[in-house]
Amino acid sequence: MATTIFERAGGFSAVRKIVADFYDRLLDDVTLQKYFANIDMARLIDHQTQFVSSMMGGPGEVSNDSLRKAHERLNINKADFIKLAGILRDTLEDHGLPDEAVQHIYDAVMARETFIVSKK
Amino acid sequence: MASVNVIEEAAKALDVAMAVADPATWTIEFENAKFFQWFPPDADDVGDARKRLPGLPLERAESRLGQGRSFAYEAEIKSGARTLTISISLKTVEVAGAPKLVIEGSNISKQKEAEYMLDSYSRLAEKNARELQREKERAEKLLLNIMPRVIYEELKDFGTTTPQRFDNTTVLMTDFVGFTEMAISQDPGAVVTELNDIFSAFDRVVELFGCERIKTIGDSYVAVSGLPEPTPDHAINIAKVALRFKRYLERRNSAHPTKWYCRIGVATGPLIGSIVGIQKYVYDIFGPAVNLAARLEALSESMQITMDAQTRELIESDFVAASRGTAELKGFGEREIFTLVSERPSGR
Repeated sequence: MATTIFERAGGFSAVRKIVADFYDRLLDDVTLQKYFANIDMARLIDHQTQFVSSMMGGPGEVSNDSLRKAHERLNINKADFIKLAGILRDTLEDHGLPDEAVQHIYDAVMARETFIVSKK
Repeated sequence: MASVNVIEEAAKALDVAMAVADPATWTIEFENAKFFQWFPPDADDVGDARKRLPGLPLERAESRLGQGRSFAYEAEIKSGARTLTISISLKTVEVAGAPKLVIEGSNISKQKEAEYMLDSYSRLAEKNARELQREKERAEKLLLNIMPRVIYEELKDFGTTTPQRFDNTTVLMTDFVGFTEMAISQDPGAVVTELNDIFSAFDRVVELFGCERIKTIGDSYVAVSGLPEPTPDHAINIAKVALRFKRYLERRNSAHPTKWYCRIGVATGPLIGSIVGIQKYVYDIFGPAVNLAARLEALSESMQITMDAQTRELIESDFVAASRGTAELKGFGEREIFTLVSERPSGR
């Protein structure tokens, strides 16, 4: 049976570090931090944990519908979405994930653009 | 007092928030940079610690401090885009003979983040565990379809099963007259659906009388009593099952356009029960009683139950049987065979 990126990266212990780091980087980013100003921290972390884990083929499910619901009120524009995906890619690289795994996750995130970007 | 200034200067640079206030009026007498940053004053109330600390449960704090004890709570504050969780503690201490209220705040956001992440993970793990459990139950149910429960337990516990000999068992075998023609001449899907209905009904009868369905081969159905759990009533159980199969089909035929006519063979004898196969395993039975039941079934007239002398002997007091004389059975020689007619009203 083919192992998932999640398993190869070291399971939840890796996801935990990636999410914590990713979360820090987003909040430190001057253009992205505005989206997180009024977000409940527990929900945000839960969402990011499930999202990153599922993108890596680990446990957790984030349906496109729930992605849309979670983001529609944030009025996210395309440039910011691409920036976020870029930060995620940097984070994954810095945590030592192999290039093809990083690319795979990046592509999976980019494929969900229509559910996250709501500002035309 | 140079040393006091050193401490003051050091306190200003701390990463924890710190303030000293008058315990009676809550007026802040000293605060460090972090305290000012985290709990900034309004334009009007610069010095009142009660107004500076967000979400302070004042009554509880005052009552606790009044008893000379410390008080602690958590508050959320905004720091740029981040929401920080600050653990705030208050206590009264004597400083140079006068009581002072010391307020301390430390950032526990990272700890909170870790807690939230752990919550998230626990939920994922619990969900996974539930899914695994469901999967396990599904697998168990599938295995129980092809082997008796005690054999399944043995296989689960030891990873293997040993063939077992059962001395007192009765086997029942049925098939349908003209099934092959039925399946070909009519809509095969519909025929199989009906066969499925009938076998499902048979399964319920078999279970009701504590027998085991061993397998079906095409339109043939094999059940046994006396294994894997021995019972002295094996022949009686099977006789009851056979009569109910027959009655079920009679009732069904009077209500349905498609008629199903069965032949039933019943034989008693020792059997070996065992799992056969490795990849595609199945629980099966072996022994002369199986072959004998097959021969008797083939000799049966349509909608008749044919049995051997040994079965008849075991059920004689409870069931009415009619002799069909002797017949030459391949592999068994000449044997007297009987038709099972009915259960005696006074019987068990």
